[in-house]
Amino acid sequence: MTDIAVAEPLVPVPVGPVPDDPAPVRRPGLLHALVHGRGLVGLVLVGAVVLLGVLGPLLAPYGPTEQVAGANLLGPGPGHWLGTDELNRDIWSRTLYGIRADLVVVFAAVPVGAVLGVLLGLVTSWWSVTDVIAQRAFDLLLAFPALILGILLTAFLGPGLLTVGVVIVALEIPVFGRLVRTAVRTVREMPFVEASQVVGAGPAWVLRKHVLPNSLEPLTVQLAVSMSVAVFVEGAMSFLGLGVRPPHPSLGSLIKDGVRLLHDAPTFAVGPLTVVVALVLGLLLISQSLSEARRA
Amino acid sequence: MLDLHSTEAVLEIEHLAISFSQPRPAVEDVSVTLHRGEILALVGESGSGKSMTARAVLGLLPPGAKATGSIRYDDEEILGLPEAELNRIRGRRIAMVFQEPQTALNPVRTIGWQLREALRAHGTPSRKAATERAIELLRAVEIPEPERRLAAYPHQLSGGQKQRVVLALALANEPEVLLADEPTTALDVTVQAEILRLLDRIRERTGTAIVLITHNMGVVAEIADRVVVLQAGNVVEEGETRALFADPGEPYTQTLLASVLRLPELDEPVVEARRAQAASQLDHRSVPAVEFRGVHVRYGSSRRGRAFPAIADVSLAVAPGEVVGLVGESGSGKTTLGRLAAGLVPLADGQVLLRGEDVLAAPRSERRHLRRGLAFVHQDPEASLDPRYAVGASIREPLDIHRVGTPAERDARVAELLEAVQLPASYADRRPRELSGGQRQRIALARALALEPALLVADEPTSALDVSVQARVLELFRELQERMGFACLFISHDLAVVHQVADRVAVLRAGQLVEVGPVGSVFSRPAADYPRRLLDAVPVPDPARRGRRVKELAS
Repeated sequence: MTDIAVAEPLVPVPVGPVPDDPAPVRRPGLLHALVHGRGLVGLVLVGAVVLLGVLGPLLAPYGPTEQVAGANLLGPGPGHWLGTDELNRDIWSRTLYGIRADLVVVFAAVPVGAVLGVLLGLVTSWWSVTDVIAQRAFDLLLAFPALILGILLTAFLGPGLLTVGVVIVALEIPVFGRLVRTAVRTVREMPFVEASQVVGAGPAWVLRKHVLPNSLEPLTVQLAVSMSVAVFVEGAMSFLGLGVRPPHPSLGSLIKDGVRLLHDAPTFAVGPLTVVVALVLGLLLISQSLSEARRA
Repeated sequence: MLDLHSTEAVLEIEHLAISFSQPRPAVEDVSVTLHRGEILALVGESGSGKSMTARAVLGLLPPGAKATGSIRYDDEEILGLPEAELNRIRGRRIAMVFQEPQTALNPVRTIGWQLREALRAHGTPSRKAATERAIELLRAVEIPEPERRLAAYPHQLSGGQKQRVVLALALANEPEVLLADEPTTALDVTVQAEILRLLDRIRERTGTAIVLITHNMGVVAEIADRVVVLQAGNVVEEGETRALFADPGEPYTQTLLASVLRLPELDEPVVEARRAQAASQLDHRSVPAVEFRGVHVRYGSSRRGRAFPAIADVSLAVAPGEVVGLVGESGSGKTTLGRLAAGLVPLADGQVLLRGEDVLAAPRSERRHLRRGLAFVHQDPEASLDPRYAVGASIREPLDIHRVGTPAERDARVAELLEAVQLPASYADRRPRELSGGQRQRIALARALALEPALLVADEPTSALDVSVQARVLELFRELQERMGFACLFISHDLAVVHQVADRVAVLRAGQLVEVGPVGSVFSRPAADYPRRLLDAVPVPDPARRGRRVKELAS
């Protein structure tokens, strides 16, 4: 305690009750949680998958749709680490390219949905009329299970990676809208918001300066959860043939092929499944460690 | 009647130390002996370890706390007993009453159910016997019509009655020791006086020894036999109440007693404070900083016919540079009136004029400008600053909203304001959680003063602070008010605080203005009956006057 008194120039303060001041103890931030324990495991898992995806074209020995002569439904071996499929394509290469498709969905569609949801939630929940309209619309979207919504949208848009992206955005908007609404409701009742309203701050100021910063932490947790859900949704949609169209690979469609050929090539699905598990598990671990750090 | 001053010890605490993982122990070395039938006050400021000491007796320490030393009840060591053993003592031999009656009672169960449950948990066999005993207990804590009250839910009772029920729960098994942790802090003064007298009578009737934990020296002077003063986990001084108040030995006790604000005696000649004299020179003909003209505020929907009048027909003006204290008990509408001035609650009827202009009639753009002359200091120092921002940013916010000057000028102003509230400029980078309650309230004050308001609405700005901190904040407030000359609506339930800072005082009751006048005359010679009763109920920090007051109150 004494070193603070020395470090702090107390000259301008005539009678202040300062000297007996505890040293400021900053709470370890969310970043700290990510590089320790559970968060670190999650980060390594996700990081490894991302690395594989980014470096995919360099690591893949063959092209994603390239047919290798004479290699039909081979098991794992030196030439083909994960084997080949019934169309003589290298599964390792297809998995690497499949990761890329998933990464686009996870790291583009989810943030787009999150940003749209947050903005909509922020703007609409301030006034009661827009709040009711927006929240009932969110109810409507939330009432559809993810896959039903996916099938519905595919009926309009046709199958494809873009459709998967649109479905995920549509799923995430109400989730984030709700979350932000809760934050708006709690934060705007806080005395510090009243203090700024009294001196003349408008809704835009309060939302931007107080509500948004105070809701960012729960949002980061939700972001990680949503990303893992997005991996599932892509997998499920491609599995059902609503997602990425053949011959292009994605993790979901690879698993679908693996399940179809389970009898002929039992190890087919192992590679893509491992990647999906790593990605989902990693994201969930990250979200867990973040929410724990928030509560600490 | 029992012998009130028996020397037989019933609870002995020796060299109790409680530590957490933090560097400073919560309790360092506390030794206290409680005698049979005695009321012992544990006093100290927040963080002095007074609540922790009481919790240790019942083994209710938070997880992670380590307690050493010795706590003996009836010559049996009870510190470190296993839960099952402790349950033999908890509630039966030693009972505890907490500060907030609201949270101590289960809101979805009737009073009768809760009393019966407590009785049956400790072995009253039949439902009928339990009901009878419950009625008996409610009668003992002086609740009228106990038979009918058994069927009442907690929300149907007033705060004082809830605290009585909590007391009845604690007394259910005729404990020998009652630990009361700030039992009257959440209550209005008139109710507090009743509860204190009730505690005294319970002690006389049953011989229960009471440990009263409090920060209020008035309460101590009112009923305690002996006082133990704690500071930072250590016993500073211990003694018989009268002797300690008359001649405090330790410097800490002296400052503690010195920072207690005192009210003038009723019916003494009116001595207007220096400030009030200055106030009488205020130009009351000039445009008031704020003026309420026959205002009404209603809560609830009037369409459904459930509108509750929070404020009914109040007219009041605050001259520029004048401090008007708003006092009243909870539910009197004092906070509502303050929030109305700040534009935080909708007006049902009447007019609110800020510097002569009707805020609500003004067009939107004008309103923003009018608001600039206004500032608001909130009661709760925990929540009045945005935890995400450094306090410097919080002080800057009003300047940012109104785009005053260049960013560099704003920063300079922040430093200036920090200096004005006597904090070093380096504090600008700190987060609210790194500051103490008093420091946070200084920051809130600095933010309120950033735009040099003509009117400051201060809603119980010091009620969450310790007495010594409160004294310093009030001193600072007065100094700033004199220097900057803003008008102020100062809302407080604490009459002594209002007496200290206000020029005039307005007494509210059930949404109506009961009395308005200069502080000196209202507090010494109140014209209306209600302010007199309020003043009477305030515990006086002077044990020598106790006998007289009890007689007064009884008459």
